[in-house]
Amino acid sequence: MSIFFEIGAKTNFSFLEGASKPEEMIVQAAILKLGGLGIADRNSVAGVVRAHAQSKAIQKKFERMRAGLLEEHEKNDVILNPIHFQPGARLVFSDGTPDILAYPQDRKGWAHLCRLLSAGNLRAEKGKCILTEADLMEWGDDMMLALVPDPSIAGHGNHEAFEGCLERFRKRFRKNFHMALAPAYDGRDKRMFATISLLADRNRIPLIATNQPLYHDTTRRPLADIVTSIREHVPIPEAGFLLAPNAERFLKNDGEILRLFRDYPHAVTNTEKFFGSLSFSLDELEHNYPPENDEGETPYQTLERLTKAGAAKRFPGKIPEKVQRNIEYELSLVRQKQYEPYFLTVHRIIQYARHEKKILCQGRGSAANSVICYCLEITEVNPEKSTLLFDRFLSMDRDEPPDIDVDFEHERREEVIQHIYEKYGKEHAGLTAGVTTYRTRSAGREVSKAFGLSEDVQSAIGSLVWGWSEEKLSEREAKAAGLDIFDPMTKNVLKYASELLGFPRHLTQHVGGFVITRDRLDEVVPIMKTAMPGRYMVEWDKDDLDNLKILKVDILALGMLTALKRAFDLLLLHYDVKKTLADLGNDTHADEEPVYEMICRADTLGVFQIESRAQMSMLPRLKPKKFYDLVIEVAIVRPGPIQGDMVHPYLKRREDRDRGIPIEYPSKELESVLERTLGVPLFQEQAMQIAITAAGFKPAEADQLRRAMATFKRTGTIGNFEKRFIEGMVAKKYSRDFAQQCFNQIKGFGEYGFPESHAASFALLVYASSWVKAYYPDVFCAAMLNSQPMGFYAPAQLVRDAREHGVVIRPVDINESNWDCLLEEAEFNKRAVDFRHAVMREVIQTKRAVRLGFRQIKGLSEVSMQQLVANRGRGYSSIRDLWLRSGLQKADIERLADADAFGSIRLSRREALWAVRALDAKSAAEKLPLFDQVSHIDLQVEPETRLPEMLAGEQVVEDYRYLSLSLKGHPVSFLRDEFRKVGVVRNVDLLTIPNGRRVTIAGLVLVRQRPGSAKGVIFMTLEDETGVANAIVWKKVFEKYRPIVMGARLVKIYGKLQSQSGVIHTVVDHIEDMTPALGILQKEARRFGVSDRSDEALNPSMDPSQRKLANSLEKAVMEKRLISSGHVGVIETTQVMPKGRNFH
Amino acid sequence: MRLTALDEAAEALSLRKNMGVAEARAIYPKLDVIEDDPVANRRFLEAIADWCDRYTPLVALDGVDGLFLDITGCAHLFGGETALLKDILARLFQMGLDARGAVSSSPGLSWAVSRFGQGGIIEHGEAEQALVPLPVAALRLEDETIGALNKTGLKYVGDLLDAPRAPLARRFGGSVLLRLDQALGTDEEPVSPRLPVASLSVERRLIEPIGAEDDILALTNQIAVSLKPSLEARGIGGRIFELVLFRVDGKVFRLSAGTAQPLREPKRVAALFAERLQAIHDDFDAGYGFEILRLNVLLHEDFVTSQGDFEHRQQKDVSLAAFVDRVSARLGEDCLQTFQLRESHIPERAVITVPAIDHLSTQKTREGHPPPARNERPIRLLRKPEPMDAFAVEVPDGAPASFHWRRMQHRVRKSEGPERLAMEWWRDGSDAENRDYFRIEDDQGRRFWIYRHGHYERDTAQSWYMHGVIA
Repeated sequence: MSIFFEIGAKTNFSFLEGASKPEEMIVQAAILKLGGLGIADRNSVAGVVRAHAQSKAIQKKFERMRAGLLEEHEKNDVILNPIHFQPGARLVFSDGTPDILAYPQDRKGWAHLCRLLSAGNLRAEKGKCILTEADLMEWGDDMMLALVPDPSIAGHGNHEAFEGCLERFRKRFRKNFHMALAPAYDGRDKRMFATISLLADRNRIPLIATNQPLYHDTTRRPLADIVTSIREHVPIPEAGFLLAPNAERFLKNDGEILRLFRDYPHAVTNTEKFFGSLSFSLDELEHNYPPENDEGETPYQTLERLTKAGAAKRFPGKIPEKVQRNIEYELSLVRQKQYEPYFLTVHRIIQYARHEKKILCQGRGSAANSVICYCLEITEVNPEKSTLLFDRFLSMDRDEPPDIDVDFEHERREEVIQHIYEKYGKEHAGLTAGVTTYRTRSAGREVSKAFGLSEDVQSAIGSLVWGWSEEKLSEREAKAAGLDIFDPMTKNVLKYASELLGFPRHLTQHVGGFVITRDRLDEVVPIMKTAMPGRYMVEWDKDDLDNLKILKVDILALGMLTALKRAFDLLLLHYDVKKTLADLGNDTHADEEPVYEMICRADTLGVFQIESRAQMSMLPRLKPKKFYDLVIEVAIVRPGPIQGDMVHPYLKRREDRDRGIPIEYPSKELESVLERTLGVPLFQEQAMQIAITAAGFKPAEADQLRRAMATFKRTGTIGNFEKRFIEGMVAKKYSRDFAQQCFNQIKGFGEYGFPESHAASFALLVYASSWVKAYYPDVFCAAMLNSQPMGFYAPAQLVRDAREHGVVIRPVDINESNWDCLLEEAEFNKRAVDFRHAVMREVIQTKRAVRLGFRQIKGLSEVSMQQLVANRGRGYSSIRDLWLRSGLQKADIERLADADAFGSIRLSRREALWAVRALDAKSAAEKLPLFDQVSHIDLQVEPETRLPEMLAGEQVVEDYRYLSLSLKGHPVSFLRDEFRKVGVVRNVDLLTIPNGRRVTIAGLVLVRQRPGSAKGVIFMTLEDETGVANAIVWKKVFEKYRPIVMGARLVKIYGKLQSQSGVIHTVVDHIEDMTPALGILQKEARRFGVSDRSDEALNPSMDPSQRKLANSLEKAVMEKRLISSGHVGVIETTQVMPKGRNFH
Repeated sequence: MRLTALDEAAEALSLRKNMGVAEARAIYPKLDVIEDDPVANRRFLEAIADWCDRYTPLVALDGVDGLFLDITGCAHLFGGETALLKDILARLFQMGLDARGAVSSSPGLSWAVSRFGQGGIIEHGEAEQALVPLPVAALRLEDETIGALNKTGLKYVGDLLDAPRAPLARRFGGSVLLRLDQALGTDEEPVSPRLPVASLSVERRLIEPIGAEDDILALTNQIAVSLKPSLEARGIGGRIFELVLFRVDGKVFRLSAGTAQPLREPKRVAALFAERLQAIHDDFDAGYGFEILRLNVLLHEDFVTSQGDFEHRQQKDVSLAAFVDRVSARLGEDCLQTFQLRESHIPERAVITVPAIDHLSTQKTREGHPPPARNERPIRLLRKPEPMDAFAVEVPDGAPASFHWRRMQHRVRKSEGPERLAMEWWRDGSDAENRDYFRIEDDQGRRFWIYRHGHYERDTAQSWYMHGVIA
């Protein structure tokens, strides 16, 4: 055993300073067989949990080897000796005090360290820490301390101030205080050592040796220089003295340390004593749950009571046998694991939100769909219907807390967060940190910057990948970006960018993870500021907290819950229909048939999850008929199953089943696992079950497999399981092919695989939103508009869809609208329902029209519009009246005019604008009291100005500009004449065109989508006045027409129609940019809704050949007119039209 | 990053100004983007303005891409307005510039017609007619005002001309009417020239361009001769002269030379420029020759006949900077070099030589980082480290007990070190060996700076080098 214990190591959590991960440090220390390793990052303990976990993993493996318990596949691994690890921090002061390495001796010392760092964090802006000597004096008890003198101390003779400092610390901390001796290799180490040793002796302070490693191995020196260069914003060749002169600050072994300190052997032996007095372990922090039991009960008793009461409510009459058994089983597991407080905490938060605040919420996540959670009303998904693997969440081997995420209405999540702060106090609740790490793009960019490459090359390297990825930069990609891979510089950039991948850059707040502790939070972990005032986060991320078994609840925001809540409120108010999520749960319902029928038709624009193009094209084939079908639908149209090639087998088996062909399962034991998904593994749980039942994995191993699946791209550890999995299955007499196929599918899940519990929770929202849309499209439309932005579609599409379902939409108006969209009395006209949705005519219950709210107008604030509404009284009679009474700014009124919101007082857009511009702020302020009585008539007389009348097309353009939609007409409708003559069919007409025919379609580009799973294929969604059309652009075609696909706002497409069971796509052969044609809207006076096919009828006498000639001539003329419709106004008009959103 | 300008090819595509570069690259991944350089753009515009000096001394810059030329009284020299405009545009076109222009009685009108109309000559009384079909943006209005006018349907200047004035002013501010009046010429708008107009100026236009320095000087002399009577007539002499050389391809050189005393003597005036021409020798490229030479008197004073002691004055106040300036100006910047510290841990890379003139001018602004704490460096560094025989007893990183260098055996009495320096991996590769430096004193009291090359764990053979002498 070594007698050297390194106490000065930094990791890459000393951001842009350390150049090795905490795990690497630990492993290297174990390889070197050091006595122990302490990690002391700059004013932070953010990296210590990772080091702790790594040292525990080494320990466990070592113990298993000792006990002869190694698995077959581990036998050849190198087994490292356990390494003693201690967490600490390097305190860097802002007042000139030398750095101090601080290590807590026990739990109390840890609390002090956390308080100390918290104090420094809270004093500084986010990401900084300001410490002074006084802080250490206040919080320095129960810690071992080592002061690190600056090496320049040997250079000057006056040590008075320094010794004064030593004196103060020694008096205060006595034998806990040390002075570090660290070699600098600057040629003066002997002198420096002698000076420090002299000072130490004179002040009776023990010396302690450290090499202050910044990286685990010398090979990391280049990376250390690179992070320095990134930190200092200087390219390496110019960084000069900012870089270290040598590569000596790596983790050194015993022998080398003893040699370096040969004149001061006690400095080395002191490291052992120093370490010997540290008894703190991070494990002491586990199970730090707040007490949640009711008075007079243990937490278990409370949980049991609440669960039983809930069960009685959930299952009126008799609780089914199976449920009863599950409850008891789950309760006993929870009791063994002592997780009662966790379930109680989540239960209480949800109860509060749901019953006191009336906020819609729903739990999901690994433990959420257990029977207990159903009974505690954490979820609405009845677990009776699915065979969930509860063990998975609470396996005996895996000692980490279950994970429950709770979704709340996105606009009201804040209230829940405030409640948590109130209930538990800021001392006990805080946000989880998220560690932002270097990804391919950022690593590539930063490293090329460090090498001083031009910005062009930086962005070329940064853009090597589409989107985010952690895959290494490959030479192939580099070539694609036009880089010379034989150039040593390029090689270096690629090499070190890959090394930098996964390094932390900084801490951010996690979206909603809350840490709640029994002990004071700032005595468990240092807390720090976030970007939001009054909100604090801890230094650890969710994996760290998991590792330490500290409670975390994810308080998340979900837009659809907001929309549903609004829909339920509107239903109650206008239709006296009372609905809750539970009412629309995973049961069979008397009125469900039309809902499923609608889903089968893919009439699901705006519906949760199943509104995307991919989902919509799946629906008519999958034909969901019951709740579980929706669960599958949600899970199947995801990159995981698509890449794992599961979609088609599933569809095929479904068709087989419907035809009465029995489904074959590879074995009896797998039948029970795969039955509900017809033999195709779709869910993570099934992958685990296959591993357990067919490949002979232990539950804990299966869980490791699951975690490997979730992070497989990042860590690449899934390969370790492959051999074992396949051999395991082969041993159980499955064919190798089948085993390989199963494994490939599991690998395909990657990061995208859905656990069944998630899918079930989401499916519930799918059904609920579909139900509202089916019966009350008016309510659905208003609720969706009031919850924007969310989902796949913009307001323009939601409005059009509602109108196609017979809903009357009324324009924004100063005298009618509120901030939110409202429902107004109206007749439902069955004939207004588009023929495509004809079956809904008898289903729809709508009796209201939607009045658009001020929120649709761009650039208006809610506060000022509330003011307008509050002062409206019996209505505004003129613009001047509005101005004087509402207290609005002139700019706001002008914006209302821009949005054409003066219909009720019969002012056109231009008239209103003209009047608004005439308002004079100064004179108004003077005259207001005087004119208060005279009812605000504009008394100024001025010559009349005749304004040009606005063209219909212009109206639409302006509507789009300020409202992003127009109720007056669709831009494409103004081009219809020309379009028809050049052979463009309307999108609605595609329904009647047979499969395989070539067609020409045209429309505004709404969406471009390039799913990762589709091998470079782009899906485009076009919109014309009759509806949307989907187009498929193959990679080859895309390369040819890339500028048009990516840049055009209006396109004309020629291609082959694919029409299969109601799913219609056009496969693009040729695509043309028609954007300039939009200039017609500004130029030519056209009526709204031109569409008479009378021209042919006018010339019945013309003979066919003549007519053909005339037609082709006319076609040429039209083509020309479309393309060359002038330059003025075109650019301006096209800017207003939607850009088309890009999804990946 | 946004696109600020497009070339013709890009304009023909669906790209446009103000588009984000990322967006443009999504459409055209191979798009060639050059970073906007407003300073260079400005320099370029100024160069064109300089060139326009050939038409009139009253040239003003207009924004970042336009010029105003006040050609009052000049047009006849070029055969009238039409010919002048044609000449300018033709020559600019030959230089590869796509320029448009208009001649009218007011700057505002010319601006509107050249940017939004067809350009050309607008005769008196045609102003209104020319303006009517132009968009309101042609009136040099703020973007906000243009937007507001467009929204109310007042899209063309004609709409504004028709409308009553008071309501317009009330809604869109006075600037609309002011700009309208300026364009119509009813409101005077002066053009402020960018260069001072010379108090006296004489020029020669050449049929056959000249290029040789001697020719230029001879011609300068001739021009100066014709300048002399004018100077005499006014009783003045020039203090600052400017020689403007218009090169055939449009480039304009301006050389100015000052004198300590007012001057009229043609030979001496020409001599002033002889020195200047020599000084700028490298930058001075006659190309295909110069077609116009102009001599301006930028500053003049009353001519006094008595002169001071010219020679004597020059001897005083010759500072180092002035010396460096003069020598560098004559013999080229590279002839005087000075040492400059460079931040590098590698001793031979820590010093570079730079032209003295650069060093003097940049010395104050450069702020380096202080060197890290380390041992003192030797006073003399050998140009190249010299290998030597030495042997260290103490492994792995002790100093040698004795060494043999330049045919002398040295016995080491005292040593300090090692100072370990790792080579610069990004230049030397990541397997470049370390150096361990020692400060050494031999038994004669001589001090040296030596190093051992190599990695102490990998190499058993020791290779030692002498790198500096301390005293």
